[in-house]
Amino acid sequence: MKILGIETSCDETAAAVAEIRNTKFEILNNVIASQEKIHAKFGGIVPEVAARKHIEMMLLVLEKATVGLNLKKDIDAIAVTAGPGLVTSLTVGVETAKTLAIALNKPLVAVNHIEAHALAGLITTPIPNFKFQISNQCQSSKSKALFPAVCLVVSGGHTQIILVEKIGKYKVVGETLDDAAGEAFDKAAKIMGLGYPGGPAIAARATQFPISNFQFPIMVKFPRPMMNSGDFNFSFAGLKTAILYKWKELSKDKKGKELDALKIMFAKEFQDAVVDVMVGKTIAAAEKFHAKTVMLGGGVAANKALRETLANNVEKYFGGKVGFIVPDLKYCTDNAAMVAFAGYFKFLAGKFVDPFKLRADPNLEL
Amino acid sequence: MRIITKNAEQTIKFGEKFAKKLVGGEVVLLVGDLGSGKTTFMKGVARALGVKQIVNSPTFVIMKIYKTTPATTYKLQAIKNLVHIDAYRSIDLPKLENIGATEYFGRKDSVCFVEWGKFLEEILNFEFRILKVCKVCFRNIDENTREIVVKRKKLYNKI
Repeated sequence: MKILGIETSCDETAAAVAEIRNTKFEILNNVIASQEKIHAKFGGIVPEVAARKHIEMMLLVLEKATVGLNLKKDIDAIAVTAGPGLVTSLTVGVETAKTLAIALNKPLVAVNHIEAHALAGLITTPIPNFKFQISNQCQSSKSKALFPAVCLVVSGGHTQIILVEKIGKYKVVGETLDDAAGEAFDKAAKIMGLGYPGGPAIAARATQFPISNFQFPIMVKFPRPMMNSGDFNFSFAGLKTAILYKWKELSKDKKGKELDALKIMFAKEFQDAVVDVMVGKTIAAAEKFHAKTVMLGGGVAANKALRETLANNVEKYFGGKVGFIVPDLKYCTDNAAMVAFAGYFKFLAGKFVDPFKLRADPNLEL
Repeated sequence: MRIITKNAEQTIKFGEKFAKKLVGGEVVLLVGDLGSGKTTFMKGVARALGVKQIVNSPTFVIMKIYKTTPATTYKLQAIKNLVHIDAYRSIDLPKLENIGATEYFGRKDSVCFVEWGKFLEEILNFEFRILKVCKVCFRNIDENTREIVVKRKKLYNKI
């Protein structure tokens, strides 16, 4: 069977077609039209600009994702992100999917954006009970069972630790009490004048550390908020305040090379602080819930330091007993392949929605 | 009213105290820099209104709506929705209309709090005929200390 996925929860218009044949889940086409450049000049996403662009791009993206296929004959089901996200953006994808489902008379499933991110790592991973074939991605896990798994989902709007008891059964065991990790990156980048989106901007600066032939007069040190709070919640607002004050103090009267060096040092330490907390909490959650696998997902999962640090720590704390699954970079940021994937399991479970009744829900909970 | 809070917990407590005087239909503008305590204040408001979920930053989705649970005081019982709006990302009035945020302005069963919402000050009275506009200004004194000033404007419906 083939399933069409549609995703428009934020500023990416995406569609993908996946084919499921016997034991294999294969993404045939995965198309994403990004609006990042459009929103960069505003320093963030502008909702009605995003919605207008989604409308302009939706059919083009669909056309490209279904190239060589006949929508009516070849597609067996439609999956769409119904929330959470920006309501004006979500609506474009949801209404498109509803219209297609009605016109083509195909079953429709509604996917939670967070669930799709959480499962994205499994697209290229064998799932025992479903006997998906091993793809090119090599796993470090020596154990066979994947679940229960602990998944860290981090993006511009979300920072959650999710206990995945099995596919379809989730529990949010930790989340941010204030800013999301991606948002913290954006705001810290703004404080230092590094531009939008903040994540890649800060990561790029951080990799330049240490600078050869340059001695930093002092090293900044930021707090690791809530590291020892005993639960799995996060708080990044305090870190934002810490960087704001330190930046104001140290950056005045600095320019040129000195200012650049300062930015590199701040970026490195800020990224370290965020990564330390996220990794620490995820490992603690994996231990508490006896996870067989640690998973990572969401836009911030593309951050190299986070991927590597989490992988190393899973190995360090659990040896080979706990596996680590991280999505390919193309499945970290918003995409429709993950929607088709999560949607397929809803399809298997028979969780169809009435296309006349489905509505985008910006506050949809897992 | 002016208050100095020495830590986040005190800011939360103040938000709680502030919220206990709400009756429904208010639009409260939260004014202050990054990291000045606006979202922290909101945690106190949510606590007073019996919101069960964690109140975190709405910067990404622009608006979060929380269902309140029946409060102990009679006056608060009329309030069913706590609407938390964040206009940080160059959000203006058309954008707020676009996502349906303005539909909650002035509704008797809702209270709206708008971060980065200073631009709404005049508009609320003229466009939405809202009489209960309140401004809460936050200022960083040092890393932990905040000055919070509540300004209640007596507005007249001039239309």
